[in-house]
Amino acid sequence: MRQDRVHVRLLIIAGVAFLWMTAVFGRLTYLQLFRHSDYLARALRQQQRTFEITPERGAIYDRNGQPLAMSVPVDSAFGVPAEIADEHLAARLLSGVVGVPQEVLESRFESSRSFVWISRKLPPEKADAINKLNLKGVYLQKENQRFYPKRDLAAHVLGFVDLDEKGLMGIERELDSQIRGKSERIVVMADARQRWFDGVEAQRERGASVVLTLDEKIQYTAERELAAAIAKTRAAAGTVIVMNPNTGEILALANWPKFNPNKASDAAAETWMNRAVSAIYEPGSTFKLITLTAAFDQGITHPDEIFDCENGAVYISGHRIRDHKPFGLLTVSDILAKSSDVGAIKIALRLGAPKFYDYIRAFGFGTPTGVELPYESRGRVERLEDWKPISLGAISMGQEIGVTPVQLITAVSAIANGGLLYKPHVIAELRRGEKVLPAEGPLTPPEPKRVIRPETAATLRRLMEGVVLRGTGPLAHLDGWTSAGKTGTAQKIDPTTGRYSPTQYIASFTGFAPINNPAVTILVSLDSPVGLHEGGDVAAPVFKRIAEQVLAYLDVPRDVPLNPKLVQTAYMKRASEDTSALEDFSVVDFSGQPDPLPAASQTAGANGPGRADSKKPVLTVAADQGGDIDVPDFSGKTMREVTDIALRLGLEPVLVGSNLATEQSPAPGAKVRRGAKITVQFGTPLEKKSKTHAGIRN
Amino acid sequence: MVRKRKKGVRAEFHTVKRIDNSRLVRNVEPAKMRSLWRSVALGGVVAAFFMLYIFQHFRCIDLSYQLEDLKGQQMKAAALNSELKLEIAGLRNPMRIDVIARRRLGLTEPLPTRVQEYEAPDGAEVAAARYVRPNRTP
Repeated sequence: MRQDRVHVRLLIIAGVAFLWMTAVFGRLTYLQLFRHSDYLARALRQQQRTFEITPERGAIYDRNGQPLAMSVPVDSAFGVPAEIADEHLAARLLSGVVGVPQEVLESRFESSRSFVWISRKLPPEKADAINKLNLKGVYLQKENQRFYPKRDLAAHVLGFVDLDEKGLMGIERELDSQIRGKSERIVVMADARQRWFDGVEAQRERGASVVLTLDEKIQYTAERELAAAIAKTRAAAGTVIVMNPNTGEILALANWPKFNPNKASDAAAETWMNRAVSAIYEPGSTFKLITLTAAFDQGITHPDEIFDCENGAVYISGHRIRDHKPFGLLTVSDILAKSSDVGAIKIALRLGAPKFYDYIRAFGFGTPTGVELPYESRGRVERLEDWKPISLGAISMGQEIGVTPVQLITAVSAIANGGLLYKPHVIAELRRGEKVLPAEGPLTPPEPKRVIRPETAATLRRLMEGVVLRGTGPLAHLDGWTSAGKTGTAQKIDPTTGRYSPTQYIASFTGFAPINNPAVTILVSLDSPVGLHEGGDVAAPVFKRIAEQVLAYLDVPRDVPLNPKLVQTAYMKRASEDTSALEDFSVVDFSGQPDPLPAASQTAGANGPGRADSKKPVLTVAADQGGDIDVPDFSGKTMREVTDIALRLGLEPVLVGSNLATEQSPAPGAKVRRGAKITVQFGTPLEKKSKTHAGIRN
Repeated sequence: MVRKRKKGVRAEFHTVKRIDNSRLVRNVEPAKMRSLWRSVALGGVVAAFFMLYIFQHFRCIDLSYQLEDLKGQQMKAAALNSELKLEIAGLRNPMRIDVIARRRLGLTEPLPTRVQEYEAPDGAEVAAARYVRPNRTP
């Protein structure tokens, strides 16, 4: 009986236990099998976070790997309205930190959205301040911000981006799709304390980096000299381009006015314009180079032919065209050197409009050059059938035609390199990490196009040297290198009258150096200089200063001896403490020195700048010893003889033409260094001596 | 006639049993012992399996935390690296160097290679020097 009672109790307990376990397992089964997906979704909603990280924009470097533009992660503040307990308090506290009006923040926090921006791309101190507020529902997220560490250096080439890192100008715009990269999506699991414990990253495609052809130091030199010229001449605007004529690479491209791409929105929109590719202007006398090049290439004249420049005036189709000076009889060389409009017109009339037009188009005028910068203008070249009777004469002296600076320097570079027209470009390569990406589409460098014969180019180079030696561009004469170029002084059109302005000019100088194997072509253009306005007066000195610094930087061997002589030294009493701020980046102009030297200071061989010691002022000077090889006289020698002699001396001969040597550059007796190039022109000696008198041949 | 029992002390008899089971030896059944140990081992394996599973699970979570921490540190280091590169690039700004050289240090543009010592007037310091090659006559 008792055992029966025990047995019953055990059964009851077992039954209760069984029922309890059944309930538990049943509930578990229900949750795991029937409600599994629901609870899994809820868990993921609570634990899973998805972040879209802005793509890392590729950096932009100069040709030496110096960064010109780079993206750095910075904090951006955002809010989750559902989590913000007191919108009013949060808005008030945040408004004081980020500078956004409190009402604006309140309206954002009261919205039904799950994500609202408070302020994007904050400086570190503001991000720290928001962090310290420790507001619920307010978080910081990393975003990339674009910085230009060199400030306004090469601003027009680089361009700038907007808040979402979308390129708006320059290379940033032109290569936006390649530099931008693709968004990165990160999925992470977060616990109750919002610590991440399981993250999965999507495949990341970074933006490509861009290596430009620009050289940072040459770019700075160009910008500094341009700024000094603008300050001195009070010009309204200006452009400097430095190009390698043998490849078409643009080493520097400077415009004035300029802007700081870090604060592009603070600058006026007019400053964003890249005048080097977008501004059209009438090139003036510089275009005589094209006129003469076409004439020589067609063989219709030669440098020693004499033209009657009619004492400075000629009539064409009822229009009187005057020279800047009354010239009489001039050789073709002197027509270019002295920039006679009448002479150029007569040569063009002999050439004829159709052939002249062909050469104009062959040199790339009237067509975009294809440089990888946005908003490039094609210039303005009237179709041949639209030319008026006066157009031939006007265009021959650089009027009635609109060119961009980059078109002009490209054409002059073709003369400098022996007749090949290269496409100007600013992009050297694209990289992704260490891997160089293959050039495709518009980035593929096309083959250069031959536009003139090498002999024609050699002749033009010699004539352009004459412009510097005895013509309108003596201030472009370099110390230690030969140089060649052409001045230009073009009248601007007055928009109010529609006629040429008598007071506003575009002064320019385009040239290259050295003459043999030119290393650089440089174009300088100043818009509306005040006071002196001739290209030879205001633009040529800028060319000289830039060329001398660039050639020295590139370690280009000198091809003429230096005769260093200290002419002028300026002295100043230096203050014991220099209190000038580093932020004052105004240009120091050393071009005009007021103090004449005391007689004792002018000793031969003493030259150059120095650094003064506070106790004992000492002028440290530097002088070049020049070359060590005398250039022999090759006149009358055959090609084989010239090659033998040059190679024996350790020089590199560049032979142009055929028959016997008639001319050479550098001239006999010049001192050059081992490895220097010597250009020797060959022809029939009688051709050099013949001179003809040509009248007007219409 | 019924006799009433006297109420009083009942006699109790204590019997003392001296039980000595020492001579009893329970024989161990080997089969059952083996079964027992097999069960213990199996249970141990199952327990170890579950322990290992649980250990791995939480170890995995723990390592995930560490991994995310390290990723965060890596991102911070990369960001710091970018900021330092940016700072270096800014310090190397040619304009900045030029201004320091000209204004603070009193340097001017160098000329080519050879250097000569030359005594300047007393009390003066050179700000700039320019040499000009005489222009060639036409």
